Amino acid sequence: MTMSEIFAPLKEPLIMGTAVGIMVGVIAVIAGLTYFKLWGWLYNNYIKTVDHKKIGVMYIFVALVMLFKGGVEALLMRAQTAVPDNKLLNSEHYNEIFTTHGVLMILFVAMPFLFGLFNVVIPLQIGARDVAFPRLNALSFWLFAAGAVLINVSFIIGGSPNAGWTSYFPLAGIEYNPGVNNNYYAWSLQISGLGSLMTGINFVTTIVKMRAPGMTWMKVPMFTWSSFIANIIVVFAFPVLTVALIMMTMDRQFGTKFFSTEDGGMDMLWANLFWVWGHPEVYIVILPAFGVFSEVIATFSRKNLFGYGSMVASMIIISLLSFLVWAHHFYTMGHGVVVNGVFSITTMLIAVPTGVKIFNWLLTMRHGRITFTTPMLYALGFIPIFTIGGVTGVMLAMASADYQYHNTLFLVAHFHYVLIPGTVFGILAGYHFWWPKMFGFKLNEKIGQVGFWLIAIGFNVTFFPMFILGLDGYARRMYTYSAETGYMTLNMISFIGALVLALGFATLVYNIYYSLRHRKELACGGDPWDARSLEWATHSPVPEYNFAVVPTISRLDEFWYAKKEGRDLQAGKIEDIHMPNDSAAPFWQSVVMGLFAFFFIFNEIGIAIALGVVTLIFMAVRSFEIDEGRHIHIKEIEEEERRLRGDR
Amino acid sequence: MSKHNNSVPLEYQGEENDLKIFGFWIFLGAEIVLFATLFTTYFTLVNRTGSAPTGPELFEIGPVILETFLLLTSSFTIGLGVHAMRLGRVKPMIVFYIITLLLGAGFLAVEIDEFITYVDHGATITSSAFLSALMTLLGTHGAHVTFGLLWGIAIIIQVSKHGINKRTANKAFIFSLYWHFLDVVWIFLFSFIYLKGMM
Amino acid sequence: MAQLFPKEHVLGFIGSIVLTLVALSVIQFDLSLTAALVILWVTAIAQASLQLVLFMHIGETDDKKSIYVATIYSVVIGLVTVFGSLLAMIWGY
Repeated sequence: MTMSEIFAPLKEPLIMGTAVGIMVGVIAVIAGLTYFKLWGWLYNNYIKTVDHKKIGVMYIFVALVMLFKGGVEALLMRAQTAVPDNKLLNSEHYNEIFTTHGVLMILFVAMPFLFGLFNVVIPLQIGARDVAFPRLNALSFWLFAAGAVLINVSFIIGGSPNAGWTSYFPLAGIEYNPGVNNNYYAWSLQISGLGSLMTGINFVTTIVKMRAPGMTWMKVPMFTWSSFIANIIVVFAFPVLTVALIMMTMDRQFGTKFFSTEDGGMDMLWANLFWVWGHPEVYIVILPAFGVFSEVIATFSRKNLFGYGSMVASMIIISLLSFLVWAHHFYTMGHGVVVNGVFSITTMLIAVPTGVKIFNWLLTMRHGRITFTTPMLYALGFIPIFTIGGVTGVMLAMASADYQYHNTLFLVAHFHYVLIPGTVFGILAGYHFWWPKMFGFKLNEKIGQVGFWLIAIGFNVTFFPMFILGLDGYARRMYTYSAETGYMTLNMISFIGALVLALGFATLVYNIYYSLRHRKELACGGDPWDARSLEWATHSPVPEYNFAVVPTISRLDEFWYAKKEGRDLQAGKIEDIHMPNDSAAPFWQSVVMGLFAFFFIFNEIGIAIALGVVTLIFMAVRSFEIDEGRHIHIKEIEEEERRLRGDR
Repeated sequence: MSKHNNSVPLEYQGEENDLKIFGFWIFLGAEIVLFATLFTTYFTLVNRTGSAPTGPELFEIGPVILETFLLLTSSFTIGLGVHAMRLGRVKPMIVFYIITLLLGAGFLAVEIDEFITYVDHGATITSSAFLSALMTLLGTHGAHVTFGLLWGIAIIIQVSKHGINKRTANKAFIFSLYWHFLDVVWIFLFSFIYLKGMM
Repeated sequence: MAQLFPKEHVLGFIGSIVLTLVALSVIQFDLSLTAALVILWVTAIAQASLQLVLFMHIGETDDKKSIYVATIYSVVIGLVTVFGSLLAMIWGY
């Protein structure tokens, strides 16, 4: 490729403007870090860290940044379709934007935000010192970050993916898409997907093997349970994506014929494999959010969770059923009655355990003393809005009816009605709920609640009109329409809703700024919400070693009962604590792997192979390394505990 | 929860060893799904040969039996290697590990020769969907064996340098799990690609 | 020397050779497709279990329950992927 082809996206004034904006931002950050002499601090405290809490915070930070990029893309789409025959974006640019919006929101916002919450919360909830493999955890994060960088770089260098977040063949194939756009798709997902797989293995091992003494399976907090199930799904679903992406790369870059339209290739096989991974993926991002709601609703209703056992059972059933429904994403492909019938039934079945959970939350609140905090508002808003998403899902589950809904805005409205109240409300509830645990001060309640109402109202105004537009036959992914169609009014309402939604998300940022400035007044102790599970038993912010003494567990919500009975859970004798050493290797290995993918994208196979060898060298060095970790001594722990309790 | 249990073999002892072995089993679960996806692709595309050679035209039983024998024997020898390790006998352990890697290298040589024969018959990875699927599935297994050879060499160097201790025993044991797993995958390749293809 | 060749490993190895020879019968004799597939499935599953139990010591620790569940779960997901895809893409198309 020539230079002018590589930088072709910059010919677009909008992209040029954004690129300049990004550049200015990057320069400002670099200048700021240099001016305040923070490079060393950043390198030593964050880039080298293997501490699950810091890694969690970094996940959440990156996810928030990506949320804003995805959000701007959403606004642009709504602006483009607000009036007929709009010239704001051309068709190619629109294609790129709806593609990266989908990819970013699912893989670079929802997943990392939840992974961030896993990292911050799970080891604390089960009374562990860290995750099972701290070094691998750092590698997971940096690989995810490398993937995120790649997908964003595509915007400026070479062109973004443009075949939809599902990237169906033959459109995504080399015949119809000769640029590097979809190479970016394959490689950024591949690199971050490897990170996700490692995270899955890490957390499954952590939760199985590292629970506090006495914490048997039926005493595990619900967020940990739901995340455990989600991580199991990650481990067994992501290999499918890995293979599918490898085959996409080989088809596009080496001329194999898996999904081609000639020599026996089968384009729909891509769709099939994509959804074998893609449907479980939906449950990966929704189950942990259910876990957050369970914690939040129980805490702010001052009651224990209703139907704990049925919650666990329903999630285990969901984990299996989630692998049995994928073909409902392509009912209209034209398979026979048996196939569509089977997948219709499994799809309707999966609504049952989900319904069970809704009733459990409602019954948890019954007779409870409810306090309406920001996290609780998100949980309360979730129930009715998500139910609309669920019910329209059952409508879509009927194969014959789906021929009418397929690829219309009805579908788009449906999955936003599932993913926004489910996942986004879930992560925002978790974010407000656990913020004090991460930083030692609360977010401002008033701004948080205003944000909730803006988001909840803006969301419904944006997406409800899409149900009607879809039923009127408005196809998804259309970049414009003519005035005679009469689609304008509802599209305009939707655009206005999107502006309100954007305002709501802006309050999140303002709240960080405001609360940071008022952190003295908002400072709080270890247990600001009078909550139930173990993470609130330690200080906020959490010391490096998490618990001075690992508590022994005798029942569910041990911390709550200990509080009521006036017992100190960490009363035992303090001993030396074994901790993992920090390492910069995961960061540099991810840099190398990111570059490897980058050169691969541009078909520079020679350079890519050289970088691949460097990756192998990193692994070899790791194999030969003798790393026994280090110990935090009793004296240091006692000092730290005194300092955190405030009696220095 | 029993972190310092001395009744279990050396490779499980210590704070992290137990976790590593467990985590590796979970990783093997992911590998099972990875190969299942490749098998899915293969079975879906097996009759879509275009104008390129088909399976029955390409497959020969001779090299396949040789490959199977080499890999089965290597799985046996690495099992003996772990057994020697548990007896605390460094030298036999290293000998068994070296034999294992030599057998693995032999397997790889036969497989590469097989690929060359295919190409000589005009069957390359780009010729048809069937051949893309076949060669990717076999190639992924072969790449795993290749990676295993490199990994195995690193293990042998460390064991001969430091002897058998908690750390090296753990690494050697995890490597043995990986190697046995490759044999398990091969059994399915052997049965459902070659034998079924030649029926 | 004999200590280095424990009985279960030697028997396991002989077993795996025998199973391979049995599997080879599907191309030696003129069997019906069903009979041949039954032979292939039985020998393959037997071989895999033999490796897992005798050589990989799947059940030797306290974690055996979790490891069994994880392995069986992944095999089930793998089979669902293979046969579900074949149903959707070939048989039911």
